[in-house]
Amino acid sequence: MVEPTVLVVDDSPTVRKIVQMTLQREHIRVITASDGLSALTSVADEIPAVILLDIQLPRMDGYHICQIIRKNLQFRQIPIIMLSGKDGLFDKMRGRLAGSTEYLTKPFDSVELVQTVKKHLVDWQSRMPARNNDMRPRLRRRG
Amino acid sequence: MEPQDRIMDGDLQTLGLQSILKMLALSGKTGTLLVHSGPETLVISLRKGQLVALHEEGVPQPDLLGMLCLINKLDPPRAHRLREASQGNIQVALSIMVEQGWMAASEMQRRLEFAVTQSISHALRWVDGRFAFHRHMLSIESRMQPLDVDSVLLEALRQADEWEEMGETPLTRTTVSRWLPEVSKDVRSLGLNQEHIDVLCLSNGEIPLQGMALALMLPEARVARIMARLIELHLIEVVDTSLEAELQQDLSNIIIMCQHTLAQQRQNNTPIQHLLGLINTLGQCINGLLIHHGTYAKSLRGRGQLPISEIVRYLERRFSQPLQLLARQQYPILETATFSNGQLDYSEIVNLDSLVKGEQLEEFYWEAVLGLNSFLRTVFATLLQDEVGNSHTGRQLNVVWKAFLTEVEQEMQQYQLYRAHQNVQQNRARRTDALPNGQNGNARVARYDGNPQGWPETQRRTI
Repeated sequence: MVEPTVLVVDDSPTVRKIVQMTLQREHIRVITASDGLSALTSVADEIPAVILLDIQLPRMDGYHICQIIRKNLQFRQIPIIMLSGKDGLFDKMRGRLAGSTEYLTKPFDSVELVQTVKKHLVDWQSRMPARNNDMRPRLRRRG
Repeated sequence: MEPQDRIMDGDLQTLGLQSILKMLALSGKTGTLLVHSGPETLVISLRKGQLVALHEEGVPQPDLLGMLCLINKLDPPRAHRLREASQGNIQVALSIMVEQGWMAASEMQRRLEFAVTQSISHALRWVDGRFAFHRHMLSIESRMQPLDVDSVLLEALRQADEWEEMGETPLTRTTVSRWLPEVSKDVRSLGLNQEHIDVLCLSNGEIPLQGMALALMLPEARVARIMARLIELHLIEVVDTSLEAELQQDLSNIIIMCQHTLAQQRQNNTPIQHLLGLINTLGQCINGLLIHHGTYAKSLRGRGQLPISEIVRYLERRFSQPLQLLARQQYPILETATFSNGQLDYSEIVNLDSLVKGEQLEEFYWEAVLGLNSFLRTVFATLLQDEVGNSHTGRQLNVVWKAFLTEVEQEMQQYQLYRAHQNVQQNRARRTDALPNGQNGNARVARYDGNPQGWPETQRRTI
């Protein structure tokens, strides 16, 4: 069975490690990225089941990354959970407009984090067959 | 698997696993038997009535290679190479070991047989659950020679009986144990046999009893007896995994909160505000940890609801001495911080701006940052050692904690860089002041410039 992977994008090593530790306890595989460019590389390489994305990142902000992912046919279905220290309506709206699926405000509670991620992992399992079909032409072309 | 492939199904109360397996073996059936109970599922593949493969779902697979390293049957570099080559598939790892001559083929077969017997023995004790037999075989990879169902059942029943004979015991197949950190006696003097020593070696706070049995190829009940003996000898303790999960969650929330406060204070515009922000972050973190320890300290656990005064007394007894020591030996400013209701009261430090100003205030604040940072480390180290010791949870929390401390240190370095830059500027200004009039260059005093990036670069953006 394919193991779902969660990509955590945050410039704070503390947040990356905490999220990793919390989700691994639930037997969820976690990969991390500290900036926008490495996040996009990880998305292309691993096709994560869920992305946890901090907004304020070096070089490219979370909104921008979110828009890039949403414009890509192959990755647009991936749920993106925005992590932000701002909980204003404007910021939430901006996140929605950029295409985020959900919004978690920092400091988040670890139980809430697990619940949110698990909710989207259930959706991922139902998306799996379609996702495999999407991959087929790409693999054939490579072969 | 298609429903039309199902030959028979039912519940375990009507027909037990033993009877189902015997029936399928006698009639020489080929197919897959699925047995569910709660979150656990056993998938057994049969070919012409013989057992060819077994797979357990819903149970985390123990790390056999790691366990073999702990009992000195495999060295860690080889285990690492095996892990990479087998991609976590233990059967593949074992066959590579046989190919490389690190394990005899007969031992691999015995290990695989033992794992099958152990799983069936466990499932034989299921009372509620359902089963279904399908004519198609699932493609479960197996390097095992086909097994005779009767002999597997015989051994599995014997192992299940051993558990029953144990009677009332708090130990289960998922019990995890770990060495007591304070053990200093020479275990050789206790007259332990090899099996006891092996169980002791595997008690690292991560491996469940079932995993130990698999690594040592001993029935689970025997491992439980050995574990009970080691507990009696005060060599190991049982790890309460649910408590540790709760404790880990609570500490994670405190660290997330402190990281958030640290990130918020980066928006401060002046060095004084920056230092004050650090003082508040460190103080908040210390107090968060003290509240946590008041709930999870080992000596306060399991005693029901305790009066607040007792918790406060415990916390002050435990932490006031290290605070005083730090104040006496390194950071006199900490003398102004006191314990009040089990919390560190550092309001006198925060309110220093009503007594002193300018550079002197900055120096006091800086000393407070250094002192509180040092005290914070002491509090966390003491707390972790007491609550979880050198366990898997303890090590994981330590990794997170180090990441947080690195962020705190980066903040402190920012201030140091600013100070160094300022000193250079002042020295330059002094030198140019000594020059004749009109040659004083472009001396400039370092400023925060409205954000902490106004001085030497490296500060990252934050929310």
